[in-house]
Amino acid sequence: MTTSLLQVRDLEKRFRAQKSFFQAKQYVHAVNGVSLELNDKETIGIVGESGCGKSTTGRCLLRLIEPTKGEILFQGRDITKLSKVEMNKLRKEIQMVFQDPMESMNPKLTIREILSEPLIAHKIPKAQHVELIVKTLDLVGLSEKHLFRYPHEFSGGQRQRIGIARAIILRPKIVVLDEPVSALDVSVQSQILNLLQDLQEELGLSYIFISHDLGVVQHIVHRIGVMYLGEMVEIGEKEKIFDKPLHPYTQALISAIPKSDPDEVKERIILTGELPSPSNPPSGCKFHPRCMYATDTCRSAKPEMREVEGRKVACHLYN
Amino acid sequence: MTKLSEAYKPIQARSIPKAPLNVKFDTLKKIMSYKRAKYCLAFLFLIVIIGVFAPILAPYNPNKLFYDALLQPPSKEHLLGTDAIGRDTLSRLIYGVRVTLSVSVFALGITFVAGTFIGLICAYIGGVVDNILMRIMDILLALPSIILALAIVAILGPSLTNAMLAVGIASIPGFARLIRGAALTIKSSGYVEASRSIGSSHSWILRRQFLPNVTGVLIVYTTLFIGVAILDTAALSFIGLGAQPPTSEWGTMLSEGKDYLYEAWWLATFPGLAITAVVFSVNFLGDALRDVFDPKSKG
Repeated sequence: MTTSLLQVRDLEKRFRAQKSFFQAKQYVHAVNGVSLELNDKETIGIVGESGCGKSTTGRCLLRLIEPTKGEILFQGRDITKLSKVEMNKLRKEIQMVFQDPMESMNPKLTIREILSEPLIAHKIPKAQHVELIVKTLDLVGLSEKHLFRYPHEFSGGQRQRIGIARAIILRPKIVVLDEPVSALDVSVQSQILNLLQDLQEELGLSYIFISHDLGVVQHIVHRIGVMYLGEMVEIGEKEKIFDKPLHPYTQALISAIPKSDPDEVKERIILTGELPSPSNPPSGCKFHPRCMYATDTCRSAKPEMREVEGRKVACHLYN
Repeated sequence: MTKLSEAYKPIQARSIPKAPLNVKFDTLKKIMSYKRAKYCLAFLFLIVIIGVFAPILAPYNPNKLFYDALLQPPSKEHLLGTDAIGRDTLSRLIYGVRVTLSVSVFALGITFVAGTFIGLICAYIGGVVDNILMRIMDILLALPSIILALAIVAILGPSLTNAMLAVGIASIPGFARLIRGAALTIKSSGYVEASRSIGSSHSWILRRQFLPNVTGVLIVYTTLFIGVAILDTAALSFIGLGAQPPTSEWGTMLSEGKDYLYEAWWLATFPGLAITAVVFSVNFLGDALRDVFDPKSKG
């Protein structure tokens, strides 16, 4: 494999959770030692239930949240060490699409103004603005007649198209998609997913696709990473993971995808127990209280990431 | 969706619509739908007209002394009577509009600029800067604004300009706090985060993301503040720290008139009524604006 476009090594983010001034310092490990690689024109999916740190990971990659530890190498350069000014320049290459397009757009600005923002921020000559904006609107399936409308005049799907347009207008290398379709209707979801795939081909984008919906992820990603309580538990090629999930948590997630064939016999793995609090995580393997294969080793020792059957998995079952 | 290859055809081949003239009468229409606000707006407009055309509208020079008509009750020659040294009350009242208007605009300018700036900076930067500035504002807020204004005038010396300055400065804390509150909700919104992810500069984020979204709050509270400014300046003038005689200012007139309350009721009554009417309409207008900009506060 050639050197990857983006390499994340042992990314860690701790939030301080101090209830009062006199209390001992407490930390919540939102992201704990996540590593992943993203190649050119590839899509990697990050899945997990809410609160597992997948959005925090995405935001750390853009340094919207400063990571506590770890390296993020973009084309070999560690972006965690860049100054704020250098980082702002580099944002041209890494853009983000947010979950709720209504929330992520200023309701008082027109589409034209919203789409000029990245151009102004990265000092693109003003003469090119309109042309770039209209071209980008075309790419996402909108047109110049939408230029002077306000976000509230659009449907949810159109709004997300504008969100995508804003992210791709600078022709970035990487787009971080933070649950880009989970606020949309199912029928609109597939349109947006197709659009994302078309754009990837056309513009040579790499995606980091954050989602809690495996069914959606299955559609679009090449590789997939499963997170649980701030840690990556399994990461590898989509086909391999969907065909034969190894980590018990991945197995449970995949068994929960609704099947279209009602006659198909499927075994549903129901996880018991609640997601433990990240401020007080379980010892050893963090998944052990809910795992049906848990042994004493799981309760005491933390499993290492290991290469098993063509993917990496962190589980004592595969020692 | 357009075919991707088609998307790159020369842009000149297509017509790019021009920006529509985005004049919005919606807000004005909404304000007009409130009956009270409509009358108040009309009244205030009238007041402004009177102020602008004072030299034409006033029957006499406000400082002209009619030695043969001291303390005259309202009559044909002097519609609102004359004061103890024979000046025409109506003329003085009309010229007083000018003073009142300039005072409110000047004081408002100070509060508006400084308050908005401090509020936005506090909300945007947060942390230590926010804490220090807001604690200072808290200390100032603990004093009633008129006392603070008194202190400022005491330091600067009594004059109309200093009174305006004092009223303006004294109202900064309340204003800054309001703007900070409004800006804090914007700070945590998705579009500010989106702006940061795009790499926009701080000043751009403040100007384009914060300002358009606090305008509602700004307009409402500036309107309400005009009432306070007029009242406070009148109060300062009343106790002799604002406009100095012979300036025809409503507060000063009121103060002069109070000595003759038994002999010449018209001296204090008309300036008092004028102040009340203007402050009343400004406040009603402010209330209506609040309803217009924040549908939630209705009811």
